[in-house]
Order: sequence, then structure tokens, then C-alpha cells
Amino acid sequence: MRLGLTVVATAALVAGCASQTVALLPNEGGKGAGAVAVLDPETGAERGEIATADTEASVAGKGALKAKAVNAKKPWFGDLAARVPYPPQTYVLYFYEGTSDITTESEPILAALKAAVNANSEVQITGHTDTVGSADANDRLSLKRAEDIRALLVTDGLPVGNSKVTGRGERELMVKTPDNTDEQANRRVEIVLRY
Amino acid sequence: MREAWLAGLLMAAALSTPGMAWAEIGRIKTVVGSASVVRGKAVTPAAPGVLLQVSDVLQTGKDGRIGLTFIDNSRFSVGPNSRVALTQFEFDDTTHKGSSLTTIDRGSLGVVSGQIAKENKDAMRVRTPTSLLAARGTKFVVEVKQ
Repeated sequence: MRLGLTVVATAALVAGCASQTVALLPNEGGKGAGAVAVLDPETGAERGEIATADTEASVAGKGALKAKAVNAKKPWFGDLAARVPYPPQTYVLYFYEGTSDITTESEPILAALKAAVNANSEVQITGHTDTVGSADANDRLSLKRAEDIRALLVTDGLPVGNSKVTGRGERELMVKTPDNTDEQANRRVEIVLRY
Repeated sequence: MREAWLAGLLMAAALSTPGMAWAEIGRIKTVVGSASVVRGKAVTPAAPGVLLQVSDVLQTGKDGRIGLTFIDNSRFSVGPNSRVALTQFEFDDTTHKGSSLTTIDRGSLGVVSGQIAKENKDAMRVRTPTSLLAARGTKFVVEVKQ
């Protein structure tokens, strides 16, 4: 494996004309951009940062970076960025105190979730409780909430039988409360869909 | 007695495997044209739903493309004629601590960073033949031509 990589790297050096370019793109949703730091692979020293949207720089050399604007009309990377998979979607269902019955307000969210799940969906279901009751009982209740939601989807014919189901009890409160506090916002199941 | 000893040994083996056994780090979401996953000596066609693990290498032909999503919600788009190795990846679902290193030997790669880059400075890295990139934000593209 390592030998293989060395051979590839050497071949590139022998060819002598390897070009390596990095372009920073606007954030999804179009607001601003992040940044990409370029480091020396041996020392970890920072050679520079590309921090403006739609600028690019060659990273093949050793010296300081020279960033320039991307040709927006005909970008060299084509539609590579547009082909990145969609961002994961999170659906949150809320429950009545001490039960695994979802609230009336959560029904439309459940309907939207059912409409979004398909054969390629990767589904992760995590149950939570508020702080009413013992930690052990809440671990069981949170898992039951998550399992019941999965069962509900499976009954509907959706392909989520193998999805990851976890109960986190009262460990991850949406709203911080003291112990033994009835809090609707904490009694929930979060479903993450990665398309 | 002997059975108990054997059972103990088997249990020890079972308990010690999770660290060594493979863990899912991401999944392939989209595939176009000729594309494959190289795992050790095994080469399998890339297909939506294929689970990925550390050290997998993604390879595409001249018409090939792969889209994939990682468990920290970072996402990649691998362009044609590419070779991209998932060299290192660690992520704790609960604390969101982690780090990753991706190696691009040739071709092109589109990156949208996820929780690892958000929670840990310079922890999401991409290595090209002569440089090391650290994601400090969300979206960028890399191309390595030879």
C-alpha cells in the first residue's frame, strides 16, 4: 500500500508537471464562505489561507499562496461542487409526558418524513426524554420512543427496518432543566436522513 | 473446566474485536459511470448504499463519479479519473470530537465539511501529492493533474 503510494508520488515528480489547484466556494445557502488553509505536509507550517469565495490558488509549489478569482463562467471544476450529496435532513417529533405517543403538532412532521424516505435513505433514529423519572426508566422510554417510530415507518412499508436506533435518555436535553421537570421540548425523537 | 477456559478465551476474542472490526464511516450516495471501491486487494463496483470504512480507496474512470456522505455529515463528490483514499477517520457521535485525513493522488474532489471541521480546528485534512489542506469552513474543490 505504502509502496504503491510512493510509486505514484515518484511518478508525479518524474513527470514534473503535476498541477494542484484548490478553489473555495460560497457556503451552501449562498452566505459567505469558510476557508481552506494550506499547510506544509512535513512541518505543518501554514503557507497561507484561501478565505474568499470563488477564489483559487495553486498549491503545488512551496512559497506563499497566490489566490486569484475563479473563472465563474467556465470553472475548471465543472459541476463537481453541484454533485456533492444533499445535506442530511433532521426531523423532530415530540411526545406526550411518559408515553411514546407523538403530539398532534408532530403529525405533519411525521407525514413529511414518510414522504422523504426512500429505498436509498440512510436513517438514524434517536430517542430522548425530559428529566421526569429515573435515569434508567428514561433510557428505556427514550429507546422505546425511537423503536416505536421505526416500527411506525416499517408498518407503512418504508425501508427502515435496518436503521440505527438509539435511546439517549435524559442525557441530551434540548432545553436545560433541573431534575424531575416536565418539558415538552425534551421529549422527542430525532430522525436524521442522509440521502 | 476446559470448556470454561475456552469460553473465556472466546469471550476475550469477541470483546477485543470491536476495536479492530470495521466501523462504518460513511456511505456512497450516488454513482455515475465506472467507479469502484478498493479495499485491500478487493475491488468492488461502487453503488449507492455501499458502506465505507477507513482505508477504502475510491477510484473512478474517465466517465466515473461518486457522491458520498460521512457520519459527521461531511460530504464528498469525486470527479472522473480520480483516486481518493479515506486514509484516516475518527468521529465520536456523542461529543463530536474527531479527525479525518483524505488523500487525493489524482483527479478531482469536491468537499463540504461537517461536524469534525466545525468542532475541531484543522482536524479535517486533505492531502495532495505535495501539500496538506485543512478545512476551516464549508465548501471547496481540489484538482490534481499529472
